[in-house]
Amino acid sequence: MIVPFGHVLVVFGIIFGLGVFCAVVRRNLIMIVLGIEIMLNAASIAFVGAALRWQNLEGQTFVLFILAVAATEVSVGLAVIVYAFRQTGSFDPNNFNLLR
Amino acid sequence: MVGSGSDPAAIMILSLATMLPFVAFLVILIFTRKRPELSAGISIGAVAVSLVCSFVLLGLNLKMTVPVQYSVRMLASSGFDIPFGFLLDHLNVLMLVIVAVICFLVQVYSLGYMAGDPGFARYYAFMSLFAWAMLNLSVSPTILQLYIFWELVGLSSYLLIGFWYEKFSATQAGKKAFVMTRAGDVAFFIGFLILFLHTGNLNILDLNGQAASAISPAVLTLSALLIFGGIVGKSAQFPLLTWLPDAMEGPTPVSALLHSATMVAAGVYLFARLFPFFSMSQTAMSVFLAIGTVSMLLASTMAMVSRDIKKVWAFSTISQLGYMIMALGAGGYFAGFFHLTTHAGFKALLFLCSGVFIHRYGTNDVYELGRLGSRRMLVPTVSIVLAAAALSGFPPLSGYFSKEAIIGTLAQLPNPVWLVAGLAGVFLTAYYAFRMIFILLLPRPAQSSGKFGPPPEAATLSPAGGPAAPSAPGAVSHGSDHGEAGHESQYLAMALPLIILATITVVLGFFETPIKDFLEAGIMAGAPSEEGASAWSHGAALCLAAIGVALAWFEFGRRGAKQIGFVERMPLLYGLFAERWYIDRFYGLLVSRVIDKGISFLCYQNDNKVIDRSIDELCRTTVDGGRIVAFLQSGMIQYRLLVIFAVMVLLAVYFFFPII
Repeated sequence: MIVPFGHVLVVFGIIFGLGVFCAVVRRNLIMIVLGIEIMLNAASIAFVGAALRWQNLEGQTFVLFILAVAATEVSVGLAVIVYAFRQTGSFDPNNFNLLR
Repeated sequence: MVGSGSDPAAIMILSLATMLPFVAFLVILIFTRKRPELSAGISIGAVAVSLVCSFVLLGLNLKMTVPVQYSVRMLASSGFDIPFGFLLDHLNVLMLVIVAVICFLVQVYSLGYMAGDPGFARYYAFMSLFAWAMLNLSVSPTILQLYIFWELVGLSSYLLIGFWYEKFSATQAGKKAFVMTRAGDVAFFIGFLILFLHTGNLNILDLNGQAASAISPAVLTLSALLIFGGIVGKSAQFPLLTWLPDAMEGPTPVSALLHSATMVAAGVYLFARLFPFFSMSQTAMSVFLAIGTVSMLLASTMAMVSRDIKKVWAFSTISQLGYMIMALGAGGYFAGFFHLTTHAGFKALLFLCSGVFIHRYGTNDVYELGRLGSRRMLVPTVSIVLAAAALSGFPPLSGYFSKEAIIGTLAQLPNPVWLVAGLAGVFLTAYYAFRMIFILLLPRPAQSSGKFGPPPEAATLSPAGGPAAPSAPGAVSHGSDHGEAGHESQYLAMALPLIILATITVVLGFFETPIKDFLEAGIMAGAPSEEGASAWSHGAALCLAAIGVALAWFEFGRRGAKQIGFVERMPLLYGLFAERWYIDRFYGLLVSRVIDKGISFLCYQNDNKVIDRSIDELCRTTVDGGRIVAFLQSGMIQYRLLVIFAVMVLLAVYFFFPII
């Protein structure tokens, strides 16, 4: 393995941190979903790295599942966002507090 | 069943006598309310049976040496046992007779007086209740039972004083009577509770004998004074005397009943009943003596200025009750009770006579009555003169004997103040009684009595003494729509009791010695004998009474007299007497200042500031706390995400670096 596993983990950490930052800070529902996608991808990187590290393909299969889950999540999430936008005319998550 | 002597026949008769009026009350209220004549018949029948029974009992009792006592265990608990039942001895058999006679006569009289009243049946129901309560009060063997009937007497007098409930003043008067007597009753209740706590026994005979001597003198005095509080309330003594004049709002026969044999007599009866107990505390007895004296004098001065004929007799009742309390307080057991007996007769007579006038002429104002020609009615006029003479204590009427007995008792006291007060009372009594009589008999043509008193109502002098329009509150709409025959029978119903009572008034005095022997056979020999009463005090009393009458004659009777009393010439004194020594004002002030503005203000503040405010605070704290907690529930998804991440990071740190 050319790239050491530690570097992979560093990249994972950076990207995951960016995803968290995006999900928590941005005041836009789409950006939050985007942040979640980034975090999922970061996790995928870590899985692929780990699969190479321990020579075990289960990590890579897991990534395929993650991709499928991410695709569904985006489709459902976007549908919810579109519906919410139609209801309130806004993407701001702070406006969706009727259940408070 | 406990008994020091139990005679089944006597008990049967007694239960008959004491239960029938109650049965009449229930029957009238439940079944015959719509039929006035039947109701009156039931009520009078019941009280007549009671009357006969009480005379039979008197006959049985004459030979009896041991009190009959019959009791059933009730209110039995681990520590105590208060029986209910009957007690029959010389004192209460006499009381029974007095009550039954007066109740019977008053009910017969009411046939005429209340004829045509819409509440006729209700009136008789209440009368029966009253008779029942009073008869049972007389035969109660324990203080608790006595207290129960004591309250029932208060209740029925409330009902009867406020009988014409459409009249605001009548309901007010009823309420006042109820509340003021209740003030005394609370003291009475506390008094016998104290007694009960210390002796564990409420039996009247026991308390009069051994039981009370076992407790300490201080407790004895305290409980005696508290029980006396009940007597003060019931018998309208100073300082609770102002309800009695207001009680005149009721129908006149009710006043007669209330003032002679039932309500106010209950207080004096209780005093006589517990006389040996009371006389164990010398301090209490002197307090009673003082209170009796003060009430006697205050009330007679009030009677000197009143224009309302019923009010004068009401004040006179207070003052005569003061005499009885004085006599009992001075140790004259017989004198006090004998005065109660004679007073029942002549006071009922006074009221019933006044009732005839009021019924006929529709006004309470004595000047008005005189002008309208009340003197033309022979029977009531003669009777009222007899009764007033008895009240003033002239021989050979009954009042003379009882008043002489009282003066004799007072003369034996070491302190002459009481005797002087008693003699002054004799003078005042004669003066105000004959003031009334002269105004009634020798009317002057209508004149305004100057600046004093209310101007007389426009006199509608109808020719030949025909019935004037019943305008005064005393008379409801009876009269005008009845035919002459109806009037005659009404008059007869009213005149008959008058004649009987007048006869009693005349002859009762001659039974002084038998009654005395009878009464004192039943009681201990603790009372000082009235044998040694000095003759001069009797003479002085008679002289003073004569002077009182003479003064009344000079001011009201003689030709050319202006019918203005000497008190009315002194505005200051007149104001004081007419305002009843400002006692009512004082109570009004007390109620408005202390109760309305003091206690109820404090309660209001407590309600507002403490209770309401604390609940408000509690609510506000809850709401505020909720708000603070709700701040966490901001509904901001991203904060939650942040928190989730923060927790996950911390958990990761915790798991991967367990040392930290």
